[in-house]
Amino acid sequence: MRPLLPRLLLFTLLGIAARSQDPALQEAHQQAKALWSNQGDREGASAKFEHVVAALSPKGKDLADSWRQVLCEALNWLAVLDDRSPAQKARALQNLEAILDLDPDFEIDRSLTPARLQAQFDGLRATRLVKLRLVLQPEGGSLLMDGRPTAPAPSKFVPLGDHVLTYSKPGFAPVEKRLRAEAKDTPSVEFNLVRTSSTLRLHLSPVGTEVLLDGRSLGRAGGSAPADLAPLAAKAGVRLEDLSGPFLVSELKPGRHILEFRAPCHRPKKVAIPEEYTQTFQDVTLEPYGLESSKGALSVSSAWEGGELFLDGTSRGTLPQQLPLCPGTYQLEVRFPSGGFAQTLEIQDGKTLPVLAKPKPRLAFVGSEADPSLPGMARLLQQASTLGGRLTELAYFLRAGEEGPREILARLRAARGAELFLRFAPGREGGPSLDAVVSTPEGEEERLSLRPLEQDPLGALAARLNRFPSLEQNWGGIVVADFPGEKGPWVLQAEEAALRAGLQVNASLQEVNQVPLASAADFRAAVDRAQGESLTIVQGGKTFKVPLTLAPVELPVADPQFSYPAVLATLRLKLLGAKGEAAAQLRFQQALAWMHFRKWEKAVEALREIRMTSLQGVSQGTVEYYTGLCLLRLGTTYIPEAIQAFTQAQRYPRATLFGPDGPSVAPLAKQAVEDQRLN
Amino acid sequence: MTLPFPRHATIASLWLAAAMAFAQEHGVAERLYLSGDRAYAARSFAEALESWNQVLQQEPRSPYAARALYRIARHHADEGRPQQALPLIEKLKSEHLSSPWAGEGMLLRGSLLAQAARRPQDLREAMGEYHRVLDLFPDLPSAPEAHARLGQAWKDQGSWGRALHHFLEASRLDPRSLVGLQATLQAAELLDLTGDLQGCLRMLQRVRDLGPGTALAEEAGWRLAVRIRHRLLRGPLRSEGPWPGGRTKWLKTPTLLATGPKGELFIYQDDLDRAAELRGDQLVPVGPTGRNAKAMVAGPAGSPWLVLSKQPVLRDEGVLGTAGPAAPGGAFMDRWGTLWLSDAKNPSLLLVAPDGSSRSIPSPTAVALAPLPGGAAVLASDSNRSLHFINAQGQPQLTVPYGKDLSGPFRSVLSLCSDPLGHIAAIVDGGDFEGVVLWGPDGQVLRSATWKSLGISGKFRAIALDRAGGILLADRSNDLLVRLI
Repeated sequence: MRPLLPRLLLFTLLGIAARSQDPALQEAHQQAKALWSNQGDREGASAKFEHVVAALSPKGKDLADSWRQVLCEALNWLAVLDDRSPAQKARALQNLEAILDLDPDFEIDRSLTPARLQAQFDGLRATRLVKLRLVLQPEGGSLLMDGRPTAPAPSKFVPLGDHVLTYSKPGFAPVEKRLRAEAKDTPSVEFNLVRTSSTLRLHLSPVGTEVLLDGRSLGRAGGSAPADLAPLAAKAGVRLEDLSGPFLVSELKPGRHILEFRAPCHRPKKVAIPEEYTQTFQDVTLEPYGLESSKGALSVSSAWEGGELFLDGTSRGTLPQQLPLCPGTYQLEVRFPSGGFAQTLEIQDGKTLPVLAKPKPRLAFVGSEADPSLPGMARLLQQASTLGGRLTELAYFLRAGEEGPREILARLRAARGAELFLRFAPGREGGPSLDAVVSTPEGEEERLSLRPLEQDPLGALAARLNRFPSLEQNWGGIVVADFPGEKGPWVLQAEEAALRAGLQVNASLQEVNQVPLASAADFRAAVDRAQGESLTIVQGGKTFKVPLTLAPVELPVADPQFSYPAVLATLRLKLLGAKGEAAAQLRFQQALAWMHFRKWEKAVEALREIRMTSLQGVSQGTVEYYTGLCLLRLGTTYIPEAIQAFTQAQRYPRATLFGPDGPSVAPLAKQAVEDQRLN
Repeated sequence: MTLPFPRHATIASLWLAAAMAFAQEHGVAERLYLSGDRAYAARSFAEALESWNQVLQQEPRSPYAARALYRIARHHADEGRPQQALPLIEKLKSEHLSSPWAGEGMLLRGSLLAQAARRPQDLREAMGEYHRVLDLFPDLPSAPEAHARLGQAWKDQGSWGRALHHFLEASRLDPRSLVGLQATLQAAELLDLTGDLQGCLRMLQRVRDLGPGTALAEEAGWRLAVRIRHRLLRGPLRSEGPWPGGRTKWLKTPTLLATGPKGELFIYQDDLDRAAELRGDQLVPVGPTGRNAKAMVAGPAGSPWLVLSKQPVLRDEGVLGTAGPAAPGGAFMDRWGTLWLSDAKNPSLLLVAPDGSSRSIPSPTAVALAPLPGGAAVLASDSNRSLHFINAQGQPQLTVPYGKDLSGPFRSVLSLCSDPLGHIAAIVDGGDFEGVVLWGPDGQVLRSATWKSLGISGKFRAIALDRAGGILLADRSNDLLVRLI
């Protein structure tokens, strides 16, 4: 007799390997039979049967019925073959015992098995099992013995001992009975189920359709429909191969019920179940239902080149894209060479959703370095995961993961995966304080103190990130001031175009664009609201038109409303593709943003590159003046260059600081030169 | 036998204990600090100081210790005890230099030093502190204030370009805050001083645009209006008649007028030997009594000082100095609290320091004296018939002959005044032009009128400029005031 343990190990290993080759196993089983039946090759047949047994034995009673049948057959054959071999004879009985353990109701092939073995088998069965007679009413239900499914046959062999039998059928109340099987006994158990509800059997197309009863999901219809349903399938307008197997809706209590069927890319369908089906308990088979397909479309384009479209994280190619899509919600992301665009979409049936993607700076949340046990931390992190829905000027991505925030940040920085990063960090004050840190890949950073237990701890951060300063204002070329006692704001200065139009300096204005004016604030508000190319002004009873233009204003250098890393990132994006005067203005604003971070060298570098064509307002003179200021910040070595820059600034008498009506640059530059020379 | 506790477990447990202790310590420090904060808000200052001192004793290395040190120092400073505040600030700097509260402390120290300064060179140490704040703590929320104070210090030293730079920086960093608006206002004034009137007006309007409804907007408003009226419009002067409200014969020989820092009007009535402040339409006696006062100046506490011939200056809080000029013609107080007095019989100006000490500087013999922005002054000298503009050191900068740019010359100045914007007004007499003249800070005649053209007559002996662009005249014979616009 072969050692048991190695055989078991071998069988286990073989089982793991072979179980993955079901068709091959079936083939081996058939070959084994043929080898013995047709060729008398006992060795060969035994080897194959052993292979099948080794593959299936590990699962034992957990095998599906068909495979259990195969295993029992193999054991039966093996017992017969072993019985012919003096060396294996003892194993024959073991195989017969194994059959009884696996399936007490298995009937050995008496035409194959010798009488002596049959007697041994029957003897074994008689000592271990009793034959149970079952009456099952109604038929067609499910039988459990000791919690395990078993075939609901009129008779069954059951092992000696106590058993619990449960018989159930949809639409009926299940019944449980206990049985004590004693040797030489012939017990009998009768089940009469009581009807408690109706059942519905239905077939659906497409396969996988979800079934809901009164809003509650019952699962999905799977499998395939039998061939005899072909006429009904045709009548329902669906192909037989698209029809699911039977889906049973049970426990239908009396009353009205609504069935709903849902499947992706199909229009949902609701069906009211007639009350007659539920008032009188019965089993009903409904006609097959087919859902109509539904489709929408998405059209994504962009004026910026190089965008790659991602839908729910999967790339769909470069823009532009026209995609047919099933109705539903999608996460759209467009990755540009610089910047990104993100939006949650709702595709509707039969409609095309156009999306114009504009790159926004990508803000990646890289996680938290703070103590996770801080009160409110879990809520804060949950809010961080949904922050993207609150941001209008940035494309937001979650990149937090197993790595620490610094590692993720370094990786994203190297891969240029974002223009901005957000992380939570312990507050600078120490103790239980917490900061939100927003930074650029180049290291410009700001910190905002957070209070995790607040109602909306990220509200202030979201508001800052959503703001971008206005870099231009409407300008009519007129500077006004409040002068009490006058009927309207007082004109202090006017540009040439306004003077040519007839405007008088040192006199008050009465109206702008039909809006009466009482103060300088009224005038400014009216100009800010104005649209078109001119302002209609009333002064001293006369009306004339003054050209309306857009004049640049300086980026505020330290306004707590704005997140300066975000401002810098947005300016960088805007610069891409900007040309001429527009590019020069943006570069100037970028220099101001670097001044916020005291990055004087970078500011000087940017300012030196600028050549504005405009000569008044925020213009080249302004650039020269700031160049001088930044050079002074760099230390005494750069004083001569600073003086040079200030001297240059004086050549632009109409240049101003702050905006078109700010202080003149030339007198300031002159003073700065005198101060440096005095030193 | 007990096994020795594993080494790594010992280290781990020690670390854990230290961490817990650290957390607990910071909890205690925070609670003590906040307790002090609450007491301070409820004005229980003693309790607040005690709580904060406990933070210093028990948790001297906690971040809250730095805050507590600063708050205690601030309290002493606010209560007028700089000598108690300064040592605490030194401790803050030496023990918590990395804390932003050290920056706030430095700024406070600079402010205290600046307040104590009595001359320009005394400001150097304060300016050093402001520079350190900006260099070490550039992100401090109070950085705009450091710039503004630097601007003020440079202005006090007469370095207007540097002052302008710092005021503009403060304005740029925080344009809408009180500090930013003040800086913008200061920058506007400096622009006018440096000759950029239009820039000044635009900046004043900027204060109004950025801080609507604030006191600073109102301040900017009158400065705008007066400049526009006197420097741009320059319309002919006309009389509104007796003022206020047409009142006549309601004064008791008014001989001197002066205006206070908030625009309040003081009227010295010779018959009463005392000044009074015009509040609405009521005269409220203020200041000391002094017979036959020759000059009057608004004191720092808001009540007038009287200058009498050959006597110490009279104040509510007692006399100042020893014998004054023989023939005082005019007086003003500069930024350092020094009183400048002119003497119509001597070619010198007497400078009386707050401690009562005095010195003289040579000058043309002046019958009248008035201050100008930036520490400068203007004096009227009948002997050489000129207005003399002098700088803060008393050195002459500009001379304007009497009668220049007028229809005729005049021989004497009966009264001289100025406003914070640098406008100078005088009652002039003798010669072909008798009436009122208004000059700009550069000595240019802006507006003028003879009594005849104004249609008024009287013995006008005192003049003042109000904040609505009007000129007030005191008529000693008719016991009334007349307003010109």
